[in-house]
Amino acid sequence: MRVTANYYDGLNARRYSVELELQNGLLLLHGENIRHELKPEQYKISNRLGSSPRVLLLNNGARCEISDSVAFEQLLAQLNHQPSLVAHLELSWHFVLAIALITLALLTSGYFFGLPLAAEKIAYRISDNTLVLIDKQLIKSIDDELMQPSKLAPARQQAILKRLQMLKLPSNGVKPRQLLFRASPLIGANAFTLPGGTIIVLDELVMLSKNDAEIIAVLAHELGHVTERHALRQILQASVVGVMVGWLVGDISSIIAIAPATLLETRYSRDFERRADNFAAEVLKLNSIPPRRLFDILKRLEQDRSLAISEETQHLTDFFSTHPATSERERILSESYNKGK
Amino acid sequence: MTTTTPQPLSFTGKGSEYFKIWIVNLCLSVLTLGIYSAWAKVRRLQYFYRHTQLADACLDYHGDPFVIFKGRVVAFILFGSYSFFIETNPKIGLSLLALIMLAMPWMLVRSFRFQLHNTSYRGLRFSFHGTIGAAFVSFLLMPLLSYLSLGLLWPLARKQITHYLRSSGAYGNCSFAFHGTTGQFYKISLMTFASVLLYLIAVITLGGGLISVSEGMAKGIAVTVAILMFLFGTLFILDIFSVRLQNYIWNNTSLGEIRFVSELSAGKLFLISLSNGLLIFLTLGFYKPYADIRLTSYRIGCLSIQTDADIDSFLAKRESEVAASGEEIAEMFDMDIAF
Repeated sequence: MRVTANYYDGLNARRYSVELELQNGLLLLHGENIRHELKPEQYKISNRLGSSPRVLLLNNGARCEISDSVAFEQLLAQLNHQPSLVAHLELSWHFVLAIALITLALLTSGYFFGLPLAAEKIAYRISDNTLVLIDKQLIKSIDDELMQPSKLAPARQQAILKRLQMLKLPSNGVKPRQLLFRASPLIGANAFTLPGGTIIVLDELVMLSKNDAEIIAVLAHELGHVTERHALRQILQASVVGVMVGWLVGDISSIIAIAPATLLETRYSRDFERRADNFAAEVLKLNSIPPRRLFDILKRLEQDRSLAISEETQHLTDFFSTHPATSERERILSESYNKGK
Repeated sequence: MTTTTPQPLSFTGKGSEYFKIWIVNLCLSVLTLGIYSAWAKVRRLQYFYRHTQLADACLDYHGDPFVIFKGRVVAFILFGSYSFFIETNPKIGLSLLALIMLAMPWMLVRSFRFQLHNTSYRGLRFSFHGTIGAAFVSFLLMPLLSYLSLGLLWPLARKQITHYLRSSGAYGNCSFAFHGTTGQFYKISLMTFASVLLYLIAVITLGGGLISVSEGMAKGIAVTVAILMFLFGTLFILDIFSVRLQNYIWNNTSLGEIRFVSELSAGKLFLISLSNGLLIFLTLGFYKPYADIRLTSYRIGCLSIQTDADIDSFLAKRESEVAASGEEIAEMFDMDIAF
């Protein structure tokens, strides 16, 4: 069995035509003015890598490139050279299909179970000092860019704070680290929970409410985020998703990579919104506040934002927006409120 | 006088073949929580290098996966502790960032050396001789000055980086050289800036006009069309810019008597990237290996070399630079710093 190859001595870029064959148990490499009898420890054979030329690397830095892979395989069989496991896996479409399925299963189970579980475990291990610092940083940056001081009368702020303090919570419930009032015409009526457990209520939301029970209902929802550290978990999960998508999609274009990452992260935040709604239903029930209060303000919030949302686009918002559609939230809320009544 | 015959580079990788390599790499990387990715990188690069052909010989990659792995561990610890401290203790975080920034030129030089020393063609290695001092000027000082000058010095900084990277490379005992001028970098950058500006004005007047006259559903459509036009138009202009720059850079690079000719077309590249992105999205990422092959195939196919003499006689004169550089290479480590 003779295999033709191109030989380079590693000192010069000149090409030599050589032949490879097995002789007396040694690999014989010979051509014009070249003759090497190689023992197995004097060379390395590159693994098969698709149809790329096979490479024989000599310990002295010389190399052979072999394009006739069929003949070379036969020579390798004579040499008893074993392909690596990885090269073996890449060989057959059966293996590749199985591996594709395993990868898909690993990635989806990681996305649906592994990552949320890991993020939850980590979120509860982050120390209080750290959380205080995180919120301090965040408040500073949003105060600089998005927020203005609240124009609510101090007495009104105190009244809302007092009602929040009086609120009965389920046994696992956690009160916010602090309640802050801010105004932001840019954002409109809204309330947020920061990763460290600070709740920010915007003046616009207080204006939109018809009574304090509605504000408490919104706060009950935010307390769900505080209790389960949703904002922190969202940051952890989103950063892993972002890195993974970036790694998978690679260098195509960062703009194209953002869309799938955002879509994937949206699912996580929708889950958190649902959980916060369930928590709110529980709190409202404990404090004998009808769940209507939450739907009422939700409806007004929605009207405030977009005047006409048709049935079809509402379906779309449910998929793309972070908050589940209001009608769906209403149904789930009343279900969990009435549970065990 | 010999005739100048262009020698095209060609890429012979196939999507279906690379798919197998890619999926095995991905699966093992996920299973080992990313540890295998260093080994995966070597297999990926070897596949791409060995399918890059010039004058009947291929490039090859010799990076040691374990060295790459160590570099990744160091990078992970550095950037991980930075992002941890910036959230918890900004003072430590910022001093760490300053430290990383200061060490950046050194890390870059190491990484370029690793990349080039581990690339070979016809048994000879490439090499990188750029100094850390020059890297400091090109990658820290010039970008800082360009930032302070509100971008006015940006083309100069870009030229500085290109000049540093190109003229510090060598193949065997022959150095690469870069002949580009600062004036041309300014010309290409200014033309791009002007086109983006003109295009923006056109979109705003046209789109704004359409939006103001239409009502109801039509208004929504007009807004969407204007946003898409803005997005894709700007992306296309930036694409033209990067293609013109790359062509200019290659066409002004030489290796001894060898000159490079790059004939990338912005339109074709844009169509390939766009359809690749769309297909990757529609196939949930599974088109990625095919996309990589398509893009590489087009990019490499647009490159050729020209010599006055016969390429074989040029190559016959190229010799290995130092025989005993093995030890030095072994202690280098690779850092994946993306550009």
